[in-house]
Formats: sequence, structure tokens, C-alpha cells
Amino acid sequence: MNEDNNITDKKVIETEVTMGTVHSAAIEPYRVRLFVEDEIVRDAEITIGINHRGIERIMEGLPVEKANSLTEKICGICSNSHIWNSVLVAEKAIGIDVPERAQYIRVIMEELERLHSHMLYLAHGSEVLGHETFAMRVFYIRETVMEILRMIGGNRVQYGVSIIGGIRPRCELDEMRIQKIREGMDIIDEKILEFADRFVSDPMIMARVTGVGVLSQKQAIELAATGPTLRSTGVEIDLRREMEAYDPFEFDIITQDDGDVKSNLLCRVLEIPEATKIIRQALDHLPDGKITNRSWEMQDAPITKSYIEVPRGKLYHSYSLEDGRVRNSIIRTPSITNIGAMQYAAVGHHITDAQLAIVQCDPCFTCTDRAIQIIKI
Amino acid sequence: MSLKSYSRARAIHVMLVYTGGCNGCDIEIVNCIFSPKYDAEQYKVFLTWNPREADVLVVTGPVTKHNEKPLIEIYNAIPEPKAVIAAGACALMGGVYKNIHGDIPSEEIAGPVDKIIPVDAKVPGCAVRPEDILSGVVAALPLLLNAK
Repeated sequence: MNEDNNITDKKVIETEVTMGTVHSAAIEPYRVRLFVEDEIVRDAEITIGINHRGIERIMEGLPVEKANSLTEKICGICSNSHIWNSVLVAEKAIGIDVPERAQYIRVIMEELERLHSHMLYLAHGSEVLGHETFAMRVFYIRETVMEILRMIGGNRVQYGVSIIGGIRPRCELDEMRIQKIREGMDIIDEKILEFADRFVSDPMIMARVTGVGVLSQKQAIELAATGPTLRSTGVEIDLRREMEAYDPFEFDIITQDDGDVKSNLLCRVLEIPEATKIIRQALDHLPDGKITNRSWEMQDAPITKSYIEVPRGKLYHSYSLEDGRVRNSIIRTPSITNIGAMQYAAVGHHITDAQLAIVQCDPCFTCTDRAIQIIKI
Repeated sequence: MSLKSYSRARAIHVMLVYTGGCNGCDIEIVNCIFSPKYDAEQYKVFLTWNPREADVLVVTGPVTKHNEKPLIEIYNAIPEPKAVIAAGACALMGGVYKNIHGDIPSEEIAGPVDKIIPVDAKVPGCAVRPEDILSGVVAALPLLLNAK
């Protein structure tokens, strides 16, 4: 019984179904409370804070190079995005020019990360749908990207490519690496379209995902949804258009209309060929020259902000510099702005679809557990 | 070999518990069992989310305070004989979170894992490689198979 909202007065019987914090349906620990009436979800509430480790607290007072590599440990899926944005803050604050070749390689890494993040989403989505075979197929395609990441960064998950002023020397792309990336892109393009074909032409899956977890465009904007979750409701917005590093590249912004699970899945499937397109362009026009600019001097700086578009949406980092040390670090990840969307997407649907509706917003609860302040407008 | 260990040798169920790491290790472990490239299922190693049918418990992440109690409950729910594998630098020795507050006791981290539950095999790496996970599970196997 939900007594907080005085629902008992209206003589409506509501049952509360609680999941978590550790639950077999959710890989990451989080807590969901679903208020159910006749097996239809009337309200949903997600509680976070279980994974809070306080990375911002550890960053406080560390030398800026150390703090940058620490931001990688926030998330194992979009680790490159975090280090890139953190490095961008320092570059913006001190005023460092980054060589063009380093910018290109950073973009290549970011797009590779987008590829593997979106494929992970597809695999996780298929698993929640109950199609383990699809999940395995996507994991097989994803392995191509993981191998390329290991080749460039030396590690499969956390590769630490960006440093202040450029990229690490070991991540330099030579002819052999460029060739291998090209081969990988061909494989992904071919196989992911085959996957998308099978996915769309399967009537069972389509019946399960169409019209489930609908988020209207108005709702999505009001809830400050971001990234593909917002784009799948028809809003054409992508921060990559405004980022300096993406200026030389041509790509389309993928939008879908319905805002349901199908739109979300298709939006991410169709972003994969766009990402490979950007990588091919970057490899074709890879400029020669240095990969690091070492002629800079550390100086104090006030709080500097940086926004970039990462696979899940908009990522925000800010800190100030004092004697080469980081102060007042604030990080806002895309998953935390999507939490409202996750709660509303489940409302009005059958309780069996609630997990699917939450997963459609691509949650990453390890990113989400940041120190936040919610201001009611 | 008893009947139980004979049947256990044919289906080892691995349960993955995530206690506040960065998702990197978890995805590598799921990848290691699911992905057709590593495919631990061909060696009859299966992933399960039910502690009552699990044989091996794989723990990732530095155990946060909120996750300490569920982890102990899950450990107690697994029937004997059982093996625990701590996977990844955070689970092994706290990783980057070890000295989070210097000598002041941490408010967020309760780990590493061997402070909370007994650990049989430790797999290093940030993040762990799928090959290492397989060897970690293999290292813990004698515990399961030689049990009466």
C-alpha cells in the first residue's frame, strides 16, 4: 500500500513491487519500486546511491594528470569519454593547443567506444527480451571492436588514450593498425546490418518491443533526457555538431519518432554505421605531424566546464586548478539525467515490460552514483 | 568421486555479484561466458543469477557499504561446497579506492572482498581479461570437485 500519496482515500488498491538492491534481473545493484495496479505500472521510483564511491572526493587535491586517469575508473563502458572530457577541461583552462593528428585519433577512439557501447546495449536489450542467441551474436560482433581497442590502447576496457596536450605515444596509429581498423569496420558494417535485418524482420521481437516504454517528445524534453534516448523521440540534437574535434567530419544525426523500445534500439543500431563512417573519414584524412604538444606550463585556473557527447548522451566535467592540483571537481554523467526518463518510461505498461522500459534508456548505474544536488524548479 | 561432484563437474554455475566497481570487469566476465569467442559454456560453465544453484561466486568491485550485507547474504545462500573468486584490482585489494580517506575509516568502501567473505582464488587486472577469468575458475575447481 502506498500511503504517502493518500491513494487509500481514492479506494484504489495499489501493490508495491520492489526489486533490488541486488536482483537477478538487474546486473548492477539499484533499487526500483514499482507501484502496480492490475499488473499495470502506475508509478516507478529508482533509488541510486548504492555504488557511490566518491571519485570526486579522491580527485580533490591530486595532481591534474593523476586525477585525469582516475576519471577513467568511473565507468568501464565509456572510460575514454571520461578521460577525454577531463583532459579537455585542463586544456581549456590552461589554453593548450592540441595537434590535429591527436584530435583525429581521439575522435577515432571515441567512435570505437560508441560502437562497443551501442553493441553492449543491443546485447543487453536482447538478453532482457529473452533472446540469448541475439545477445551472443552481438557479443561476437563486439569482439572485433574490443580487439581493435586492445591493439590501440593495450587494454580491453580502460585504455587511457588522452593526456594533456595530446595522446599517449603508444596509441599512435601506424600503417598496420590503420589497416586492421579498416578491416574491422568492414566486418562491423556488414554484420550489424545483417543483425538489424534479422531483428526487424522477426515478428515476435517486433511485437514485444513496439509500443512498449513509450516516452513522448514533450516528456523527454521536460525530464531532460539526453543522447539517443532523446533522439529516439524525434528531437534532432547531438552535441558532436558543436564540438571542435568533430568539425572535419560529416555524419547524420539519427532520429526516430516513437520513443518506445523499438525506436531506442533502431536509433542505436543506425548510429553504428554513422560511427564507422566517421572512423573511415578520420583514417582517410589522418594528418601527419606530432601527437603531443609538450610546450605548456601549468598555471592556476578558475572553474572550467566542458561538455561532450558520449555514447549515452551529454557528459559534463568541471574543476579548477590550484598549483597543478584539482579542486572543486564536479562530474555529471548522461545516465543521471536519464533517470527521470527511466522512471516515466515504465509507467502505464505491463509489469513484465518494466525492466525492458528501464533498460531502453541505457542505464549505467556505476556512472549514475555521483554526488548530486537536485534543485526543484 | 561422489555422485554430487560427478554431476557438478558437468555443470558449473557461476554467479556474478557486482559490488560497486566500474562495470568493466562485469562486462568482461559476462563476455567471457557469453561471447562465442571465449565461450565458457562449451566447458559446461554457465552463468546464473540465482545463488541457490550457483557453485562459484565471482565478486567484482570494491565492496561499498551498501553492498556489504547483500554480499554476505548471497554468500550464505550458496550451498556447500562453494568457491569464491575475487576478480579485478578493486575486489583484490581495493584498487584506486584503497586509501580513499587516508587513515580515516572510509565512509563508502567496506572492501576489499577478503575482509568480508573468504576468497579462494584471486584474479588480477584492471579490467580482468576473459582468459584470466577462465583460469581463475579452473583454479577454484578442485575445491568443488574434490568435496565429498
